[in-house]
Amino acid sequence: MLHQPWFKVFIWFLAAFFFFLVAAVVISVLSPGPSESQIHQFMIGSMDAMDRSMMGAAMHLRHDVFLTSVMVLTASLTVPLIALGLFLGLLIWFRRSLCSEKS
Amino acid sequence: MKGSFAFFIHWLWAIVFGVLAISGFAMIGAKYGWIVNYSLAAADYVHRVSASFFVILTVLAIGNEVWRAWKNEVKALPWMIIGPSGYQLFNFITALILILTGMLIWVCSDFNRAQIAFSLYVHEFIAYVVLVGVIWHIYQKCHALNSRRQKPKV
Repeated sequence: MLHQPWFKVFIWFLAAFFFFLVAAVVISVLSPGPSESQIHQFMIGSMDAMDRSMMGAAMHLRHDVFLTSVMVLTASLTVPLIALGLFLGLLIWFRRSLCSEKS
Repeated sequence: MKGSFAFFIHWLWAIVFGVLAISGFAMIGAKYGWIVNYSLAAADYVHRVSASFFVILTVLAIGNEVWRAWKNEVKALPWMIIGPSGYQLFNFITALILILTGMLIWVCSDFNRAQIAFSLYVHEFIAYVVLVGVIWHIYQKCHALNSRRQKPKV
């Protein structure tokens, strides 16, 4: 697939996209300002996001008791899951070292 | 089949990361908003939805690596997005940091301002590092951009 012409175009497009993105970030960082109109537009965009995007939906979640309890449960599960992941990783590492000793 | 899975997930991950990057950088501040013409509601939607795909793809890749480690497969998968060394390891670490800080930003937006400020700082800093890493990765693999057609052998 890598040698198909359409896939080459896709790779070129994606590579160019990232280079343009870096250029956009450099322009943003090095440009003077922000100007008053930029701040105004950004504030309007942020307010719009609070009203109409998932940010607004997330802000309304706190009034939902069930979803809040799910979030609290999820947060409390994070640390045990990380501990379990570390334990499984160590187990795999130990198992692999045993196998390499045998062979 | 495994090679094609890694190939598929590599390019899908690249697309999702590109979408995440453009929508995320546009939301950093007033100087960056022009990237999406200050349509921050759309950028927020796109960022959150594509972040979900990013997490799913990363979990799939981690699951695949754990399965390979469990099966004692030592053969490297060059197309796989994460791995034990080099750019794959860089990808693994930065993706985990981005996911963890992103989840904190998403979940803690209401009740922990200090945590959200710290997560935003780390999220943004790692995003810059990853963007530089992507450019370096493209530079390293620039032979893939070679579009010269080979003449058919007569």
